[in-house]
Amino acid sequence: MATFVDRYAEEASVIKANLVVSFVALGIGAFFGLVQALHRTNYFRFIDSVDYYTVLTGHGVLLALVFTIFFLLGLFTWAVVQSLERPMPDIRLTWAWFGLTTTGATFVAIAILAGFMPSIDMSADVLYTFYAPLQAHPLFYVGLAMFIVGTWLAGADWFLAYRNWRGDNPDERIPLQTFMVLTTMLMWYLSTLGVAVSTVFFLIPWSFGIVETVNPLLTRTLFWFFGHPVVYFWLMPAYLMWYTVLPKLAGGRLFSDPLARVVFVLFLLLSTPVGIHHQYLDPGIAEGFKFIAMTNTMFLLLPSLLTAFTVVASVEHGARQRGGEGYLKWLGALPWRDPAFTGMALAGAMFAAGGFSGMINAGMNINYLIHNTLWVPGHFHLTVGTAVALTMMAGSYWLVPQLTGKRLYSRPIGLLQVVLWFVGMVLMSNAMHRAGLVGIPRRTAEPQYQSFDFTAVIGTVGELRAQIAIGGTLLFLSVVLFLFNILLSAFEEPIANPVDDRLPAPLSGASGSPLVLDDLRLWTGIAVVLVILAYTLPLAGIVGDAGFFGNVPGVPVWVSANAEAIVETLTEVIA
Amino acid sequence: MEIHAYEKFWLGAALLLIVGFIATVSYGAIGAGVEMIDDDGGTVDPQNLDQHPKFSDPGVYKSGPNEYDVYVIAKQFLFQPGTSEPIRVPANSTVTFHVTSADVIHGFEVVGTNANTMAIPGQISTFTVEVDGPQEYGLLCNEYCGSAHHAMEGTMKVVPEDEFNASATAGGA
Amino acid sequence: MSLEPETENTIREDVPDRPRGYVVGSAPDSIEREIGHDDFDPVGTLVLIFGYFLILVVMWVFMYFVEFLGRGMTVIG
Ligand SMILES: [Cu+2]
Repeated sequence: MATFVDRYAEEASVIKANLVVSFVALGIGAFFGLVQALHRTNYFRFIDSVDYYTVLTGHGVLLALVFTIFFLLGLFTWAVVQSLERPMPDIRLTWAWFGLTTTGATFVAIAILAGFMPSIDMSADVLYTFYAPLQAHPLFYVGLAMFIVGTWLAGADWFLAYRNWRGDNPDERIPLQTFMVLTTMLMWYLSTLGVAVSTVFFLIPWSFGIVETVNPLLTRTLFWFFGHPVVYFWLMPAYLMWYTVLPKLAGGRLFSDPLARVVFVLFLLLSTPVGIHHQYLDPGIAEGFKFIAMTNTMFLLLPSLLTAFTVVASVEHGARQRGGEGYLKWLGALPWRDPAFTGMALAGAMFAAGGFSGMINAGMNINYLIHNTLWVPGHFHLTVGTAVALTMMAGSYWLVPQLTGKRLYSRPIGLLQVVLWFVGMVLMSNAMHRAGLVGIPRRTAEPQYQSFDFTAVIGTVGELRAQIAIGGTLLFLSVVLFLFNILLSAFEEPIANPVDDRLPAPLSGASGSPLVLDDLRLWTGIAVVLVILAYTLPLAGIVGDAGFFGNVPGVPVWVSANAEAIVETLTEVIA
Repeated sequence: MEIHAYEKFWLGAALLLIVGFIATVSYGAIGAGVEMIDDDGGTVDPQNLDQHPKFSDPGVYKSGPNEYDVYVIAKQFLFQPGTSEPIRVPANSTVTFHVTSADVIHGFEVVGTNANTMAIPGQISTFTVEVDGPQEYGLLCNEYCGSAHHAMEGTMKVVPEDEFNASATAGGA
Repeated sequence: MSLEPETENTIREDVPDRPRGYVVGSAPDSIEREIGHDDFDPVGTLVLIFGYFLILVVMWVFMYFVEFLGRGMTVIG
């Protein structure tokens, strides 16, 4: 018996490299989160409120894009290799996309962090959504474009691996994990077109001064063309682990392989034609298009609701095999001492709560109630901030030993860490949701305004602030424990079986499901048609209003926005 | 493909939930009459707001018996009107807001109410609300718009009709 | 140098050699009975998910009709 690293040493190295980038981003991003939680609640301030937005941009980009996506890159490579049971086609290609994504991410990080240093004329305080005409330094957009192209190459690498496997196995069903990777990547190719067009055709030329103006509604709409599906790009690694790893961690087996496939196909079809639900309160888009986006969004609940059943049933299967009885008593028979299991289970429970606030966000006219209030970050700290982030951390306790051949440094610390995250997030997220209903906005450095006060219906605003500050502190401690545990694991001695990495077969296997589920061409075709239906008319209207390049000049967030100064700063930074 | 009976039951319940959500929102739109911000407001040249018939002098305009138009420009980092002087409208009237931006994307939120919109340069957000009795509301920008975003705020005063008329004849409005 | 003390899990024959202490992912070691596809009805899941369904319906109605439609200055045109 040997684990992953013993069979695929080179692949394990690339995956580890991806996880290192991911975890470094996690550490910095989490520290920024702590700074924000204490600053905007007025508990502890050591930065200027102006710098708050540099911190906020860093927090959003490093956690939502770098931490999650580099983890995905590592996890998907692991999933493809281990489910196809063969090495990557050419490890140099694998290193190449790692190099490109890492360089891109580094450029983005430099552009953002330079905002702290007044001596460098560079900033990207445009937040994670980089809405034009706020204009970041070109390095930010260039890095972003490189990063996205890198993820495309990663997808190509996995498709290539699949094609080689298919050559040797013409009649077999696509292994489930590979199926999940491929459908997710097809969704990603389709949706990143929006952000790629936005950055390459509009924002990069504009930030260099080659084009004078932008059409802000167009770039904003193209951002959300990508900005909602990216949510599923974060979530699909978590789903992959919930479907294929969590049942095993619970001592059970996946309830249904075919339904898992159905769910991933539904995500491919419906993830992209929904982005306009982030623009319910935008002018320039007719109500009918908003209603279509809502209908698609509501049906996108279906795969998640199905997942809830299938995954919980798989976990229940584990509990029953471990002797669990009764309607609810079986919950006690689950392996709660295992941090990988407990972390994922708590992440799933929080996702159920986040699902509810997401249903509110999806509703068209009820959006007036919560749009751009603290409710929204309250929501996505449950989804990407817990369902995804906590699943990734918990999954690492099981995955990393397979990549290093070394056991986890401490199980109890791992367990404490995941519970701490859960408690911290209950406090912080609950308070943020409630604060949103009071009307407190998101994305602001100051807790109060000069000309009016917020009034909470139940409790006080002060109590909400305290919960946010305490919750944020616990979350940061949790990340410190996680990184500490992973780091110390690196100093363990390599052993033969550092972790139990066996994955049992599903209760209901793929063979009983219709072959059409594996027809990736068909599903991609339908997905493209749905996107064309949802977006052609709104985009045509937006372009009709102000043209492709619009009539709004940039408002740079750094000082001297001209080509010469840019080149000068770049040479300075590189030197 | 066989699906367990319980999961079929849940599939039905989930579909019911989805249809129920869409039905509720449709009721809100048709029954309760909630309308979305849409493309009715039209466009404006954000670099030449001073040539616009109304945005050149933003503020409150009477548009009919008990009906008022309020033109608001959002710009880094104030509402005009709203920040240096409050938006004043009479109680128990129908008020249509026309909000646009002179520079970057902003938000316009009447705190604690459902009056909430994006302000996008080049686009005009037009929406109508019924205003009740006299009250003072806060205004804030709820979309990050630059380094002093947190200072972008204002007030809206709903004043008794006679007080509003008095100030209007005195040259206010 | 793990912090984990020895555990007294029952050692099963078919399980590979384990290092000392708790191994992440070792839940299958303490399986008492194998339950096949035809012997498993996820009744506990049904109970949990039905509870979730009820919470969703109640919360949705509250949020939409009390929090949202109950607030002032709703956009009507
Ligand atoms: Cu603003």
